[in-house]
Amino acid sequence: MKPPAFEYAAPASVAEAVALLDERGFDAKVLAGGQSLMALLNMRLARPELLVDIARVPGLDSIEISGGCLGVGAMVRQRSLEFFPGLADSHPLLLAGLRHVAHPQNRNQGTVCGSLAHADPAAELPALAVAAGAELVIEGPDGKRSESAEDFFITYLTTTLEPAELLVEARFPLLPEGSGWSVQEVTRRHGDFALAGAVVTMRIADARVADPHVVAFGVGAVPLRCTAAEQALAGAEPGPAAWKEAGALVSEAVEDPLDDVHASASQRRSVAGVMASRAMEEAAARA
Amino acid sequence: MSSRIPNSLEELPVSEIRWIGKGVERLEDPSLVTGRTEFIDNVVLPGMLHCAILRSTYAHARIVSIDSSAAEEMEGVYAVITGRDAARLTNPATTAPEGWGAYCLAHEKTRFVGEPMVAVAATSRYLAEDALELIIVEYEELPVVANAQAALAADAALLFEEHGSNVMLQRKFTWGEVDSAFDQADLVVSDDYRWNRLGANPMETFGCVVDWNPADDMLTCRGSFQSQSYMGLARSLVLGLPSNQVRMISHPHGGSFGGKGGFRGVDICALLSKAASGRPVKWIEDRLEYLLAGAGQSWDREYTLQLALKKDGTVTGLRVKLLDDMGGTAEAFGAVSAAKPLAAFTGCYAIQAAEYDLTLVATNKVPQSPYRGMGPPPHNWVLEQTMDKAARELGLDPAEIRRRNYIPADAFPYTIASGNEYDSGNYEAALDALLDMADYQKLCAERDSAQAEGRLLGLGLVNTIEPGVFDWNAYAIVGLESTGVPEGITVAIDVMGRITARLGFSLEGQGQYTLVAQVLADYFAVTPADVSIVYQDSLSAPPHFGPGGSRLGVAITGAALGAAHLLERKLARVAAVLLQCGPDDVELMDGFLRVRAMPEAKMHFAEVAGAMLARSDLLPEDIDPQPQATYVWTAPGRTPADEQGRAKSYLTAANACHLVKVEVDPDTGTVDILGYWLVDDCGTRLNPVTVEGQTMGGIAQGVGAALLEEYVYDESAQPLTSSFMDYLLPSVYEVPRVEKKALTTPSPFTPLGAKGCGEGAMHTTPAAIMCAINDALSPLGLSAREVPASPRRLWKLLHENAD
Repeated sequence: MKPPAFEYAAPASVAEAVALLDERGFDAKVLAGGQSLMALLNMRLARPELLVDIARVPGLDSIEISGGCLGVGAMVRQRSLEFFPGLADSHPLLLAGLRHVAHPQNRNQGTVCGSLAHADPAAELPALAVAAGAELVIEGPDGKRSESAEDFFITYLTTTLEPAELLVEARFPLLPEGSGWSVQEVTRRHGDFALAGAVVTMRIADARVADPHVVAFGVGAVPLRCTAAEQALAGAEPGPAAWKEAGALVSEAVEDPLDDVHASASQRRSVAGVMASRAMEEAAARA
Repeated sequence: MSSRIPNSLEELPVSEIRWIGKGVERLEDPSLVTGRTEFIDNVVLPGMLHCAILRSTYAHARIVSIDSSAAEEMEGVYAVITGRDAARLTNPATTAPEGWGAYCLAHEKTRFVGEPMVAVAATSRYLAEDALELIIVEYEELPVVANAQAALAADAALLFEEHGSNVMLQRKFTWGEVDSAFDQADLVVSDDYRWNRLGANPMETFGCVVDWNPADDMLTCRGSFQSQSYMGLARSLVLGLPSNQVRMISHPHGGSFGGKGGFRGVDICALLSKAASGRPVKWIEDRLEYLLAGAGQSWDREYTLQLALKKDGTVTGLRVKLLDDMGGTAEAFGAVSAAKPLAAFTGCYAIQAAEYDLTLVATNKVPQSPYRGMGPPPHNWVLEQTMDKAARELGLDPAEIRRRNYIPADAFPYTIASGNEYDSGNYEAALDALLDMADYQKLCAERDSAQAEGRLLGLGLVNTIEPGVFDWNAYAIVGLESTGVPEGITVAIDVMGRITARLGFSLEGQGQYTLVAQVLADYFAVTPADVSIVYQDSLSAPPHFGPGGSRLGVAITGAALGAAHLLERKLARVAAVLLQCGPDDVELMDGFLRVRAMPEAKMHFAEVAGAMLARSDLLPEDIDPQPQATYVWTAPGRTPADEQGRAKSYLTAANACHLVKVEVDPDTGTVDILGYWLVDDCGTRLNPVTVEGQTMGGIAQGVGAALLEEYVYDESAQPLTSSFMDYLLPSVYEVPRVEKKALTTPSPFTPLGAKGCGEGAMHTTPAAIMCAINDALSPLGLSAREVPASPRRLWKLLHENAD
């Protein structure tokens, strides 16, 4: 478990980092918290020639609330966000989701943006980003661009990031007033990747469900935004019948889930619906 | 010299016991928590090289060619060896059963994925791993034997062609009138079970630093050896060296649980050192290597179990049929795990007739190794779960059917059908204490009302025996027929009156050094801090075996007391000279040698020892002036096995009764442990804190076994669980809080009445959790008969009505 030889660079600015990435293309890899990349290197499953360590770039570790969004810089550790003062009030969904991310030791090192850029479909943060409608700020040789989380994830471990681009910030819109939220997942053990999970947000207006967001994770190549379930929920009377019907639509929306030693494909499909229903119930109770 | 070992605390030469039986803090801990313990990877020797091992990617293949020329030419590489070198310079591994061993590097063919093929020694582990990438092995695939059933097929490929079959051992043992018990039964209850492959995962993997000195042909092996003397003897046989030219230096290690292994690693490093002109070679097994093909895989079993019962629930006969997938060789002594159930075959029950139909087969999986419990945990599970099934069919409560079958408290020592003798116990008292502590009636009512609401809530109540203090005769049926396992200690007093104990095993986590200090502190009326424990290598220490088979606590207590008593007699003789009386007139009491008839005439043992060391000229010539003594303890009264494998083998029989409450989530297939209670009895608790640690560790591993841990192979015997992402160990979140109570029925056969307790709850927890899950599923008419009861399996059972 020793990595092959690699070069190491610790740029002092985003521009310098992007220039290095631009120069080396696919042979370079960004190192942030290292919770996935270091294991891949040690197992010799990834063999980049150059690691671009962005830990020393000033300013990337800032968390701030502005313009109705919670902005999380590229080097913000998951644990730092978890302990960001007032997060329980400003973005309770993110706090609840973060507590499902691995273990404190991993969260001490792992970054929010690193998890998004790594794009493991069983991870919580990509699903949270899609459910919360996050915007991802990306810097490349041609300057900055912004992309919605929903468009960002392409397939397993693959995003729209070009080799020379760096994800510099994730901007999570604050939940609308009166929103309820829930993160539900099934894992083999506390802190494991989910066999199947769901993130739900909604409001209740005039005793009807309003503005529902339903995202399933761990059941496909990317976080699954379940529009059929959202349509069924919108305007529905809150209650077990609605949750069950919408949960069934989540199961239906799951295509070709993973079948492995931990759960069968049919189990993942079914459990995704169960998790979504439970998340709807909890979200409605909080709304 | 013979010694008189006290059988009870009252016999110790002190007026007050201050340390034994108390929760004395472990002497080992300050070094561990401050990082001063020297683990093997901390060892750096001058000129040391680093080994990396290229491993087979095929489960079964002929080796056509190996081209390692590019690796040999790489800068920094000093040696490259293959199976050809191993075949030229060494013997195949010694095995049980005999004749199923391989060379340390695959020669001519490979039998499992992960088998070592080529080894490299280079100036760093990084370079050594780089060099592996330059080696080209050409394989010719052979048909794969992927599981035990496939191994038995008429047209199965053969792992060892010379045996003409993949069957390592097939025998049926019959004890008592089994056929008539079943013929005359009112009820026969039977089920099939599957226990999947799992095993030890110590925090530290195996590691060693080996040098083979070309000048004197001395092989020095440093490493995380569980049993250095045994490992050293095996190395001398494999490497063809005289046994006194193999010196094993065992370093403290981060756990073993039977999974330390390392045989091949030591042999490979020895050959690399020889090839590199005697430079020391270090190999640290990494976690990928451990999970792929380390010593962490055990018990891959298919069971059929039958009980013959009378209407009143009395069990009159037991039949167990076991098919065990041993993997590619018998090199790691995994077969011992199929033999050990003989030591407690009928559990807590007085079942007079029993049968064991045993088949061990070779397949293209990793060879089985020992694991905590060494075989009984799956056996206990299938026995206990079938007891519950019988109870259900007879309309009896699980507590009641057990109570009706217990070996009565007045029947000890009791010889069970399979031949071992249980020393002592009171199983009904343990059961009653547990039912009382947990408020069993209330729990049953809660379970009944939850089940009436459709919730899958269940209770598991089981009891088991933990055989303690192993002897080789327990494994006679797989070819290990001798008796007598030595544990020696030297106790010495220096000129300043301080006590030093020298022994032959290193720290592994169980706290035995503390135990030795407690025993000697009470014997000589000092404090544990006044006693130094010094580890000695295999050529320096008195005869020893070390930890294994829940024996070391009992064995080292016997050795320490024996040596202390011999030393006391020496001191008494000297004191008699100095106090001018007869040697029989002097006794040790509270640290003083005193004249029995005139207790005020006394000398502290330190003064006597000082006189021996400084003024031996004052002593008669026939007195040995060294204030030190050595005693080697072995278990008394062990008997050779008869043709049916029956022997007095394990010296002690601890017992435990566990109760667990679980709830199964029918929508997800997951299991929550909602409550856990236990009562156990391991005789005198020499250090209750240590026993507590062993119990909780056993529960953790039991939870892993019941719910999480499993090495999965696909149909071509390729491993699918190669990291901790897929091989799931329980964490602190998965292990329940446990309410515990201890009973004490001292062993009449051991020093101070203690029993082996090192494997502990691993014997009981898997059965308890599985029985609780099955109680939860019983209203649906379903039964879970495969371990681990993973969400995948339970969901399938619940939703596809199949298992």
